[in-house]
This record gives sequence, C-alpha cells and structure tokens, in this order.
Amino acid sequence: MESEIQRTEMLLAPTLAFKKVQTADKYPKGQSRGRQWKHLRHLLQAADGSSLPPDRPNYLNIQSPPSIYPPKRYCDITGFEAPYADPRTKLRYSDPEVFKQIRMLPDEYVQRYLALRNAAVVLR
Amino acid sequence: MSSSSAHRPPRETDFDRIPGSTPIVIDNGASTFRIGWAGEKEPRVAFRNIVQRPRHRSSAGETVTVVGDTDPGLMKFFDCTRTSIRSPFDDDVVYQFEYMEYILDYAFDRLGATSEVGHPILMTECECNPSFSRARMSELLFETYGVPSVAFGIDDAFSYKYNQKLGNCGEDGLAISCEFGTCHVVPFLKGQPVLGACCRTNVGGSHITDFLRQLLSLKYPYHAASITWEKAEELKKEHCYIAPDYMSELQIFKNNKEEAEKKTRYWQLPWVPPPVDEPPSEEELARKAAQKERAGQRLRDFAATKRSQKIQLLEKELSDLEELMEQLDEAEEPEATSILASAGYLSRQEIKSAILKKIQSIRKAKGESNGNEEKADVSEADKYPLVSVPDETLTPEQLKEKKKQILLKTTTEGRLRAKQRRAEEEALREKQEEERRTENPELYFEELRARYSDLSEKIDQRKRQKVNGNNNSSGAVGRGERLNAAQKERMRLLTTAAFDRGKGEDTFGMRDEDWLVYKKMSKDTDQDDDENDYDESELARITSKLQEVDPTFVNKHEAAEPTPDPHKVRPLTAEDFRIAIGIERFRCPEVLFQPGMIGVDQAGIDEMVSISLRRLMEDESVKERLCQSILVTGGTSLFPGMIPRLESGIRQFRPYLARLKLIKAADPILDAWRGAAAFAASSKFGTQTFTLEDYREHGENLFHRYNIVYTL
Repeated sequence: MESEIQRTEMLLAPTLAFKKVQTADKYPKGQSRGRQWKHLRHLLQAADGSSLPPDRPNYLNIQSPPSIYPPKRYCDITGFEAPYADPRTKLRYSDPEVFKQIRMLPDEYVQRYLALRNAAVVLR
Repeated sequence: MSSSSAHRPPRETDFDRIPGSTPIVIDNGASTFRIGWAGEKEPRVAFRNIVQRPRHRSSAGETVTVVGDTDPGLMKFFDCTRTSIRSPFDDDVVYQFEYMEYILDYAFDRLGATSEVGHPILMTECECNPSFSRARMSELLFETYGVPSVAFGIDDAFSYKYNQKLGNCGEDGLAISCEFGTCHVVPFLKGQPVLGACCRTNVGGSHITDFLRQLLSLKYPYHAASITWEKAEELKKEHCYIAPDYMSELQIFKNNKEEAEKKTRYWQLPWVPPPVDEPPSEEELARKAAQKERAGQRLRDFAATKRSQKIQLLEKELSDLEELMEQLDEAEEPEATSILASAGYLSRQEIKSAILKKIQSIRKAKGESNGNEEKADVSEADKYPLVSVPDETLTPEQLKEKKKQILLKTTTEGRLRAKQRRAEEEALREKQEEERRTENPELYFEELRARYSDLSEKIDQRKRQKVNGNNNSSGAVGRGERLNAAQKERMRLLTTAAFDRGKGEDTFGMRDEDWLVYKKMSKDTDQDDDENDYDESELARITSKLQEVDPTFVNKHEAAEPTPDPHKVRPLTAEDFRIAIGIERFRCPEVLFQPGMIGVDQAGIDEMVSISLRRLMEDESVKERLCQSILVTGGTSLFPGMIPRLESGIRQFRPYLARLKLIKAADPILDAWRGAAAFAASSKFGTQTFTLEDYREHGENLFHRYNIVYTL
C-alpha cells in the first residue's frame, strides 16, 4: 500500500475487532452478490402492501397525490414557457428559434432532453 | 461540511472512556451520515453516505472499500473502471445492506470502537420506513455489531422537537422537510407527529443536482467531462435560488437581457491560452524564398540536362536511320531486303515514317513549335497511304487495309466537318444575337437575364436532387430519407417490378415505352448528364456575356459560395471554457415546487401542506393553529428565497387572510442529529428501545406497529 493511502486511513480495514461477524465471512469472495439487492420498488411489492391495514400509514400510502393544477409546459431547451411541441421529436419549445435548434439536434440529445422529464423512449 | 471537501475524519480516541449506557446517536441521512454521543451538541463524525469498491492497482487488483468522500488525487492508485459511487439508499429508504455495513464499519471505527460496540443505538429513519428495511437494519446492528438495544426515530420529528425546545415552533405545527431524495410534510399535534397525515414527494436535493448537471452538460457537450456530479452539487449550493415568482422570473430572463445578464453566474474552467505563433520575420521570409528559388533552379537544371540527353539520343537514332536509308538506296533489290530484315523493318515506307516520327519528337524535345497544319499535311499522305492507290495493284491484305483506312479517313473528315459546321452555327448565332442587341438592347438584356436565372435555377435544382432528395428536413433518420430522388424512384420501380407478378394479364411490352423502364432501373442513369453539360456550358456563355454588358452583374454561383475554409478553426478563448449558469439558477430548484418538470407526477412542497392538512381531518381552528408554526428544515431548504416562496405558495391554499407563520430551522442540516442526541440523553430513552430478544420473539411484525414517543 502506498504511504499516502495508509496515512490518510482512507481504506476500510478488512477485519474489525468490534464486529461479531466479519464481512469476508458474510460475503465470501468470488460469489456474485450484486444481484441480490432488489430495488426498493420490488422490495415494496414483495412486502405485499395489501396485507397492511389500509387505515394505518405506510410507506406507500403517505405519498403525495398528483397536483391539482394542470401541469405547466416548459421548453425543454431554454426552460421558458412552451406553447408548442414538435410532433417529430416530441420536444416542447418556446419559439421558432428553438425549433430550428431542435431539428438540428442529434437523436441522442433529443432522448436525453426527453429523459430529463421522464419522457424518453425506453427500449426494452 | 458534507461533500464540498474531501475531508477524512480522524479517529476519535475516547470511546473506551464513555460509559456503556450512553447511547450512540446516528443520523443516517441519504446524503450525510452523522454519528456521535447522546447528550452532546455536535456529532463526532460526519461523512458522505457513499461507498466505493475499486481495485487497488499495485496489489494484484485486490478489491478495497472506501467510505465517504475521497481526495481525487489519491484515487489514481485505484482502478475505478468497474465500480461507481454507491449509496445504500433508494430514495430515503436503506435497501442495500452490504453497503450499509461498510458505512457502519467505517462509522464505528472512526468513533473509536475497539473490541466491541456495546452501546444502545438511536438511528434516524424516514417517515413510515418499510418494515423490511427496519428488520434488516436491526438484524445487522444486533448480529454483526452486537449492540444491546436499538431505537428508530424520524429525523424530521427530531428536528422539529429540537426547534420546539429552542422555542422556534409550537407544540402543534407542521414540519416541511426538503431532503436529499425526498420531501416530507409532517403535522405535529401535542408534540407528536401525526404519521397518518404526513405526505411525501419523491423529489429532493439529489434530483436538483442531477437536473443541473444534465442541463449543463447538454448545453456544453464539450465540457461534459468536467461537469461531474460533485461539481454540480457545488454549483447548486453556490448559485441556485428559489424564484419568488417563477413565471415573472422567466419573463425577466426572456425579455430583459440586461437584468438576466446581471443574474447570470459564470464558472471558468481551467484554461491556459495556447502559445501565440510569432509571425515570421523578414529575414526568415527572405531565407525561405531563397531556399525555394534554389530548389527550383536545381530542378530546372536537372530537366535541362535530361532534355539535352534525350535530344542527343534521338539525333543519333535519326542519323542511324538516315544512314540505313542511304544504304538501301545504294543497294540492289535482294541485298536491300536482307538489310531491311536485319534492321527489323518491313519496307522503306516504314523507315521513312520512323524518320518523320523521330524528327517530330526532336522538335518537340527542343521546344520548337510544329504547326498543326503542317503536321496534318505531312501525316495525311502517310496516314492513309493506300487510299489513293488503285485497287488492281494491291494484294488482298492491302485491300483490306485500304478499306479500313478509307473508313478511318471518312470518319475523321466527317468529324472535322461537323466541328466546322458547329463553329459556323455558333458564329451565326453570335451574329444574330449581336443584331438583336443593337436593335433593342433593353429587351436583349432582359432576355439574357431571364435565361440566366432560368438556367442557374435548373442546374441548382438538379444538384440538389443529386445531393439529397429532401435536405430541407434535417435530422432525418431511416433508410428512405438517405436516398436521393433518383435513387428513390429506382427503388420504387424495382419493388413494383418485383411484386408485379400474377396481376391479371401481362401486358408488358405491348407498347414500346414499356422497355424504358429498364433504362430507368439500370444503376447508372446518367441520361440527363448530357443535357446537364449542355446547360452548364450555356450558363457559362451567358454569364460571360452578362459580365460583358452589365458591370453590376454578380455571378450567383461565385457569390453564393464565399467558401470559408471549413478547416479553419477559430482560436479558442477563455470564454469557450466558461460555463454560464443563468436560468438554471432557479430552474433547477423549481422542481421542488413543480415535480412535473422532471416527470414526477406528484404535488410540490407548497401544495403538500394543503394535502397534509386535508389528511389531518381536524377542525379549521386546529389547522389555523398548525399554520402558525411551520418549520422549514432539511439541507435542500437552504436555497435563498425558500421561505417567501413557500409562504406565497401555501397562502394560495389557505382561506383569505388566514394567518401563516413560517420558521427556518435553527440549523436545517444538523438539527435532526441534535434533536436525536437530546432525545437519547433522556432518562426514559430506555423505554423506547427494543432488544435482540424482542426482535427474536416478534420478528418483522415488531416493526409494523413500532413508533417511538417523542415527548418523554
């Protein structure tokens, strides 16, 4: 180990005396374990929310509902109010200048702009 | 304190001196992990709640664990290509307990734990943390670290209680908390959070940072590598603010350039101007010119010697041939044939022509002009020597040869005649045009112009068609749009031909025009190239004419293309390495109020207050009381302009002239830990904890109803 690394104590020691079970014993080397952590969404599904009493608060039912206001539309490029939408790229835009810009955009950028508001085409 | 510096916390030394009954207090926030002792004012250790597991380069790729922020300079010793920065959190819930374990390892190690942890633990969590997360967390604490007892409490509640103790807010009130991954609104009645009435929107500080980073890297694609998540976080903390009124702030940036410029901030990327090339001096130029001149002279000399050598050689060959001729002239018939055979010639005629050729090439080499007429005259006779000879004197082979020569002669003559005729026609037309011009210069001029524009239009159109069938629609994708019009037509014909079978009676070939289809189908359809050539030459003629008569005339083709050298690069300046943060300053934090901007279909934080009040199902008088004690907390609430904007937002959901009071938390970042530390220091803290035995007895069910009492 390089001396700077040792001096700054930046690495976690592989064994720690205060632990009852060491990490290496719990997660043996060479076993793929990246997959075992499911995402929160799946965990919540697996926990089966229907078994919980509906009148009691739980993680899912305290979520905010959608806004009562109609969503405002903003230009994907400039952020100004967007009265128009491009039917081809599906991007919203504020004025003709931006429209020209949109039509020059490569598809990758179009998708990245759409992804910002979760509207990109997802290929599965 | 959290992520801005790569500060590595030192190891605490007094762990063993702390009595075993003193609880350890952990504020397990999605962005920052804080750990310390109950009853103290400040957490002992705080670090960013992240883990990296890179490979160490020099020790055979051993995987190592790094918790918290690091000095980027030290990361060169590690291979980070197959890993990224990981967090144990998804939104505000811990779900990745392997990473959580590394973080706890590091936290207890920094706190100074040596042989055992051995203290009760109070850990914060989000509102209504799912049971599986609590179960896994307590399992980890009990089984891996051997802690005696554990309590979980809501960070926002601790923050509210702490501010209540400071006198900032009342027993009944609301907490608006803007955190790293989420925002919460929690009502409090008699100092206890009403979880049934709280609400959560899944938008927080991390979303603002992501949004800012994406927007900037889309705006400056060349600097995308410099715009890291950490840098975006830093820029967010430094420059972002909440617009008092989003729409009018947008109008300022749209219409008032001056004020917008005033509100724009810049981030200058490190940039060193490239060394400027000195223009070459006079001396240098003269030296270069001389060098060039010398090189040219050398080449010219070389060419001259070569030419004289060639001339000498040719002259020698010529004299040889002449000698041979003389020999032949002197010699008798049988002797002559043997001489001819030995020299490799068939007849005297042949030798003569060889001599002529030699003479010509000598002339050419010497650079003398040999008039075309003369050459034609000379060659006429010996090009077609048999034409004028009567048939009877010739052998059958010679007859054949004669026929060939006649054919050649007539075709060349015909070609010459046609050329002459064309020249005559041209001259005639020129003359007619001249006449028309003198007759009516105005009309003639008009006609010329009209014809010019016609032709140039035509040629332009054809060019366009060739280059791209429809180049007005850029960004086109898909195969069809990449073909030009002619190719498209060809494809269409091919497909129709391919699928034409069995459609009633086959009438193909009844009309002669049917066969034209094959011409169109053939790959090289250059049938209009001749026409094109003609048009172009005509255009050139008219252009020159127009230039003659009209001094103001500009050739469109030349004028339209000033052809700036496409490879000429504008020298880069510091400005090109400057990142402007204008509208983004308030556009990014606006997602807290309008989550729809990043595609989250939930209410914003101002509207959440009304939702929470509605869920409370209490009298208006209670709601009125709650609204006079609204605490704003959480690291993401630190943006300037947050309180006034929230106030005007909430006011829209409240009755006219209803009283409203918003309070900024004493320290929106640390209050949760401080509140928890104060709570854990209470003598009744023990009543709120559970032990390994409790957990073994009830399992996960223990957590379905688990809620601590915050007022002890």
